[in-house]
Amino acid sequence: MSFRRANAEPRWVRLLLTAVALGFLALFLGLPLLAVFVEALAAGVPAYLAALVEPETRHAVLLSLLIALIVLPFNVLFGVAAAWAIARFDFKGKSLLITLIDLPFAVSPVVAGMLFILLFGARGWFGPWLSEHDFRIIFAVPGMLIATLFITFPFVARELIPLMQTQGKDEEEAAVSLGASGWQMFWRVTLPNIKWGLLYGVILANARALGEFGAVSVVSGHIRGETNTLPLHVEILYNEYNAVGAFAAASVLALLALVTLVAKTIVEWRMHKETQMLEADLPPEKTQ
Amino acid sequence: MSISIQNISKRFGSFVALDGINLDIPTGELVALLGPSGCGKTTLLRIIAGMETADAGEVLFSGREATHLHARDRNVGFVFQHYALFRHMTVFENVAFGLRVKPRKERPAEAEIKKRVMDLLGLVQLDWLAERYPSQLSGGQRQRIALARALAVEPKVLLLDEPFGALDTKVRKELRRWLRRLHDEMHISSVFVTHDQEEALEVADRVVVMNHGRIEQIGSPDEVYSNPASPFVYQFLGNVNVFHSRVHGAWAEVGRDEAAAGGESGEGGETLAFVRPHEIDIERGPVAGGLEAEVQDVHPIGPVVRVELAHASELIEVELTRERADALGLAKGQHVWLKPRQVKVFAAPEYLLEDGGSGI
Repeated sequence: MSFRRANAEPRWVRLLLTAVALGFLALFLGLPLLAVFVEALAAGVPAYLAALVEPETRHAVLLSLLIALIVLPFNVLFGVAAAWAIARFDFKGKSLLITLIDLPFAVSPVVAGMLFILLFGARGWFGPWLSEHDFRIIFAVPGMLIATLFITFPFVARELIPLMQTQGKDEEEAAVSLGASGWQMFWRVTLPNIKWGLLYGVILANARALGEFGAVSVVSGHIRGETNTLPLHVEILYNEYNAVGAFAAASVLALLALVTLVAKTIVEWRMHKETQMLEADLPPEKTQ
Repeated sequence: MSISIQNISKRFGSFVALDGINLDIPTGELVALLGPSGCGKTTLLRIIAGMETADAGEVLFSGREATHLHARDRNVGFVFQHYALFRHMTVFENVAFGLRVKPRKERPAEAEIKKRVMDLLGLVQLDWLAERYPSQLSGGQRQRIALARALAVEPKVLLLDEPFGALDTKVRKELRRWLRRLHDEMHISSVFVTHDQEEALEVADRVVVMNHGRIEQIGSPDEVYSNPASPFVYQFLGNVNVFHSRVHGAWAEVGRDEAAAGGESGEGGETLAFVRPHEIDIERGPVAGGLEAEVQDVHPIGPVVRVELAHASELIEVELTRERADALGLAKGQHVWLKPRQVKVFAAPEYLLEDGGSGI
């Protein structure tokens, strides 16, 4: 069509803007991603595979997955509870709670890590008591779990609060007036309505849990084969000039990120479809 | 089941939603809670349903204390303005919900559930939609499903919160007649909230008019319309002209004599006379006790003709039949005389004095 809208920009402006955006993406996202795989495969596929099955790398991958696996159920629990409290009830300190949920976003991860050293470290507030009872948190997996939990806490709650606020409490009240108990209401009405939002939050939290560096780095102590997660392991290998090892480990992270991206897109698409379905215009009433 | 509401009060912060409400709803009656938004009618309905707790007062079901009974144990059916259908369940599952969540001992067998649900869907004439999702239904269909869902647990009381508020006029009219029939067939007590006076007058056995958290009047539709207990009820139920004794001397005098006889107005104080637009006659020549006015505009609206007139810069609205208007042959700027067929006089309350002459 040769017509164009009066407010449309000239063709060359649109092309230029698109080119700038794409070029930027290619330069800062595509190129580094490509570089990771090129470097990882620089010494050939056998060397790449050998680097991956190297025990310390394998341990790092498993530790990262373990941390994510433990942290995510807690995130779901806290996230749903917090979102429910905020979306359904009015209470004093509600706005303070909303602000606190965002705290991990606002605080630098390194500061968060230091915070836990201060609390649980050898010279921290609870340090002496912990060492008396022979329980290690700092420079051990429990500390890394706590740090990761702190960092990933907001994702699920942030995703669910606006969702539950727009959905309102009518359906839940309807369920109760029909005789449903609290659990029945939650499992049959609340959860099915928020499941896609919840999954979306979990995917984001998972990506962050796997990729977290700063906070975990502070509390881990970098003990090889013990408290090294995948991102920490990448750094160690790189500092030892083991480029193939470092980039091979990094490629695992990159692959996990790509999987996350695909999962996120699918969930987003489902969520969009559901909202569209709900907001669809009603067909005119037919008189029978 | 009869409902008795005794001295119910409710505040939200500093806002008084309900202020000492007393109301008795006998078994089998269809009652409308009517009032402007913010008058407390929905809060009262939610207190009856157990979704809101009153600060003071009691709710009795069949004479038995129910104030602290949990919403799920009250056995009331609740219908929401925006339907509140479970969006991820089919129509069938929506209606079956109340049966499926019953404790194992009371839960009917699957075949029984299927039969009951299909019977209910038949009752609301939507059995052909059983496998659809709520998003695939029109607004009127959704509300009928919501009703079927509420009726599935065989409630003793049906509560409806502006049930037709979100529907267009034509569907609304159909549905309210249908609700009336349904109520008569089911032999339950129903309470519905509305701000639409026409809806309340058409459907209800009794109308409870509310304002500012208080009940202004309780009565049959005919009573509240033709014999309003307060200026508020007069103005809320249909259009009305308000005349001040100060401004419209002659007219209000006529009214005052009647009112004084009935003992309704204060002695010699300022009074307000309320006259509905269709209760005023227009004469071309002077008549005794008539009010002279100038025709400002003539609007034929369907079967009636609405005439706007001015008297001493106050607007007066009169509704005539088409025949009468044709016979009069009114023209803009013409001087005519108005004579009320029915006047109701109230002592002027403070808040109405500022309004001037017309309540329309």
